[in-house]
Order: sequence, then structure tokens, then C-alpha cells
Amino acid sequence: MGRDITFGQYYPGDSFIHRMDPRAKILLSILYIVTVFLCVSFYSYLAVFLFLAILILVARVPLRSVLKSVKAILFLVMLTAAINILFYREGSPLLQFWVIRITDEGLIFSAKMALRLLFLVIGTTLVTLTTTPMNLTDGMESLMSPLKVVKFPVHDVAIIMSIALRFIPSLMEEIDKIIMAQKARGAAFDSGGLIARAKALLPILIPLFVSAFRRADELALALDARCYNATPNRTKMKELKFGYRDLVASVACLLFMGVIILLRFYPGV
Amino acid sequence: MKKVIELRNVSYDYKSSADERTTGVKNISLTVNKGEFVVLLGHNGSGKSTLAKLLNAFLIPDQGDVIINGINTKEEKRVFEIRSKVGMVFQNPDNQMVASIIEDDIAFGAENLGVERQELIRRVDWALQVVNMHAHKKRTPFKLSGGQKQRIAIAAILAMLPEILILDESTAMLDPKGREEVLDVVRKLNSEQGMTVILITHYMEEAVDADKVFIMNEGEIVASGSPREVFDNEKAVYEAKLELPVACKISHMLKKDGFDIPSCLTVDELVEGICRL
Ligand SMILES: Nc1ncnc2c1ncn2[C@@H]1O[C@H](COP(=O)(O)OP(=O)(O)OP(=O)(O)O)[C@@H](O)[C@H]1O
Ligand SMILES: [Mg+2]
Repeated sequence: MGRDITFGQYYPGDSFIHRMDPRAKILLSILYIVTVFLCVSFYSYLAVFLFLAILILVARVPLRSVLKSVKAILFLVMLTAAINILFYREGSPLLQFWVIRITDEGLIFSAKMALRLLFLVIGTTLVTLTTTPMNLTDGMESLMSPLKVVKFPVHDVAIIMSIALRFIPSLMEEIDKIIMAQKARGAAFDSGGLIARAKALLPILIPLFVSAFRRADELALALDARCYNATPNRTKMKELKFGYRDLVASVACLLFMGVIILLRFYPGV
Repeated sequence: MKKVIELRNVSYDYKSSADERTTGVKNISLTVNKGEFVVLLGHNGSGKSTLAKLLNAFLIPDQGDVIINGINTKEEKRVFEIRSKVGMVFQNPDNQMVASIIEDDIAFGAENLGVERQELIRRVDWALQVVNMHAHKKRTPFKLSGGQKQRIAIAAILAMLPEILILDESTAMLDPKGREEVLDVVRKLNSEQGMTVILITHYMEEAVDADKVFIMNEGEIVASGSPREVFDNEKAVYEAKLELPVACKISHMLKKDGFDIPSCLTVDELVEGICRL
């Protein structure tokens, strides 16, 4: 049995990081992103690496699932690195022919760039590995709640996200069914050229849209039947609580940021 | 006895365009008392869903009045009061869930009503216990059977503490086992909690132990009364294009052939009747 797709990347657990408030995780990951952009020398990149290693150990998530998301962007990382290496202008050339000029500074710059991308992805992956999408949605809703003042429909947006999450598995199931039904009618999805394949998608997409709209119709009724929008003073069963873990994590992240800032003044490449 | 639902000469037409109208329901009058188990039968397009939607103010009658617990559905300001009292469960359980975790889904309706947190938690636990799904509280609904999903949908309505539960063909998509599970829960709610139930279906078998049965055809109620009264009205049943339960059919045939047998609703009754011959 495959993993429940509802949970996305979530790796079930009850580690320190799993049990943090999703709002703290969202805010601290923003802080982390800023910190990574403050890195200059390789020493600071080493510091980020150590920090991430500690986080992975604390979160008790398998390295395999972290590397999976790295794999997903590996191509992007290599592409940007290649472009940087080939077209970076500053520094003394190591190799030169035609328009291409590979310099020492170019190599260093692209290595840092690649590391930065990798670290950003690993850091944010740690959030999605340790938080369920529903929890993240709740966290975002709570963080966005000040926007209510300017009449931004925070709660509606949260419901939309929650319903979208809720219907992803249903639609996936639906796609499977439609594909099987069309195959039974003799449709071929995995042969022919690009255009033939794109055309073959049409008999999947049309029934999918029809059924999605039918679902939406019924869902709208079900929302009304459950008194959606009955009162502006909607309550919530699940409460988010800022706990000692969030405090500890915040201090740790701020210290980490301090280290990176200090390292800016330390000489080195 | 307390009247919870009263319809007086209610008609409703769907207006698809300026000059095109489809009859939804025509001139319907009926009353339902508190704690009654009412079954509404009719073939496709006979107006059952339209009638159900009139009961919780999804639709407002063109003519006549719908009165729920003394409130006329025309009172716009009290729509949510009516909807929280008239819970509606639909056909496809998959399209009624809004959250990915069962307890969140159950809480949704009560959250919308602004129920305070401790009470919310209590209601969610209670509703899940009533439908026998408490063990699944923290799980996702996707791997559940149809009957289980539909019980979750019922619990989601129960958490709003409705007085009337309408099930609009909520058993139509289920296998016989799932259907029985759902009907058991509904019967239990009716007998133990005194919940007024309106079960919409086209399986006549589901009507045998109802307090009141209504048969609809072309937007009108063509037969009403106790199950026995309605099932004996063969003409109305056939005109409404419905099938009598097998036991009932056999007993009617035997009677026509001159045997002295009462009309039977269930197989047990039929067996007993035949043994007495
Ligand atoms: N939204 C709508 N717009 C126009 N006509 C409608 C609409 N909904 C229902 N009708 C029409 O109203 C009539 C009664 O429909 P209704 O849905 O109440 O029947 P039903 O008994 O619930 O049928 P089913 O068993 O198929 O659910 C039908 O002729 C139907 O075509
Ligand atoms: Mg219907």
C-alpha cells in the first residue's frame, strides 16, 4: 500500500521539530532563508551544513527522504552552476576559448551558488517533512490573520487550501479510473509522438473537468448545509500553541544567524 | 405531538430561462412530527431532492409555506438557524468532506456555528461514537469503505446537533453491507436520540419500518400513510414506477389468486403468512 498522498512529503514522527508550532516553523524557515543569503565565505557555508546536519538528526527523518527532494532540483542546480562557470567574467582565466572563459572566481561563485540552492531546498524540505499539509495550512491561516483588518478573506483562503488538499487524492483516483476506462475503449496513452500523446490526454482531461465541476456543485451544497459563513465569529477546534520548543528553536536559529553574520567579518574565501 | 415540519400547498418550479420552467414540486402539503421516521419514495426526477432542499431553505417555495420548528423558511435572517436544525446528508460521501482529517471534517459545521472549543471537542467525540467511527478520528477518510464514509458524513451533520436529519439517497451509492451500516446508525439515532429522520430513497425495502411513507411522482405526493397502507395502494406504487419489495409482491399475488393472506412487508411476515394458510 502506497503512502497516503494527503500527507504529501510528511514523514510521521514525534521529534522536537515535529511537535513545534507550524507558525514557528514557517517564520523560522523564512529567517533561515535570509541567513543563507547572508553567507559569504566557505566557512559560513560549512556552518550552514553543520546546522542542517543537526536539524536532520533532531528531526529524526531519514536522510533518504531529504535527498529525494535534492534529487528533484539537482538538474536545476547543475544547470545554473554550468551557466555560471561558463559565463562568469571576473577573475583570472584558467581556460579560455571562443566566448567561453572559465575563471577561478567563476568556479568559486558557482560552487557557492549551487550550495546556496541546495541548502535552501534542504532547509525548507525539513519543514514539509515534519509538518502535515493541514498543519501548515492552519499555520498560514493564523499568520495571515492580521490581513483580516484590510478585509482580506483569510478564512476563505484557508478553506480553499484545505479543500484543495482534500480533493487531490480524489482527483488522482478519478484520473486512474478514467485512464482505465479509456484504455478499455482502446485508447493508447504511451505510444506515438509528442503530439499524439498530448492529443491522447484530451479524453482524460475532459471527463476529469466534467466530474470536477459536478463535485464542486455538490461540495457547494454540502458547505451550505453545514452553515458555512453562518457567523463571522467562527471557532476552531484545533488550537495552535506557541510552546517552549518554539522558543528554544527561535533562540537556536537567531544564534545561528549571529554566527553567519560574524563570519562575514572573518577573512576567507 | 410536536410538529417539526409543516408544508402548506408548496410549489416550486426551476426557472432555467425566462420562459422555460421545470416543475420541481407541485402543491405539496404534509406534516412531520417530532421523532418520526419518514421515508420519501419516488423514481428519478420525481421531485424528492427538490422537496428536501425546500426543507432546509436551499430553495424557497414559489407558492405556499415551509415551516420548520415554527420558523418560515422565507425568513431570510433565520436561514442558518434552519440549516443547523435540518441536517442534510447527500448521495456521494466523497463530495461532502471538506477536510483531510476526519475529526476536522466533523468539527467543520459546528465551527461555522461558532461553538466554543471545549464543546466542539465534546461534540466531535460524541458524533463519532454515535456512528461507531471513533477509532478513525485522527485518520484520513480516503481508505474507508463507502458505508464508513457516509457514516462520517452523518457524524459531520450530527455535530451541529440538528433536530431533523434528511438523507437524500445517501444509501444509493453503497453496497448492501454499507447500506445496512448506514441504516442501522440512522435507526439508532431515531429510536435512541429521538431524532426526526427523513430518508429519501428508491429502495422500497427501506420503507418497511418507517412511521410514515410518502410516494412522489411528477412533483406531487401520490400516496402517504403507514408503510402497509402505502404498499397496499398498488396502483399508486406502479404509477409512480416503483417496485414493491418481493415479499409484498408475492403476498399480493397470492391474495389475487384467492389465498387468504394479509399483505406482508417483510420475508418473515410472508413466511408466517404462508405457514398459516
Ligand atoms: N437545478 C435544476 N435546474 C432545473 N431543473 C432541475 C434542477 N434540479 C432538478 N430539476 C428538475 O426538477 C425535477 C425534480 O428533480 P429532483 O432532483 O427533485 O428529483 P429527484 O426525485 O431527487 O430525482 P433523483 O432520484 O434523480 O435524485 C426533475 O424534472 C429535474 O429535472
Ligand atoms: Mg435527488
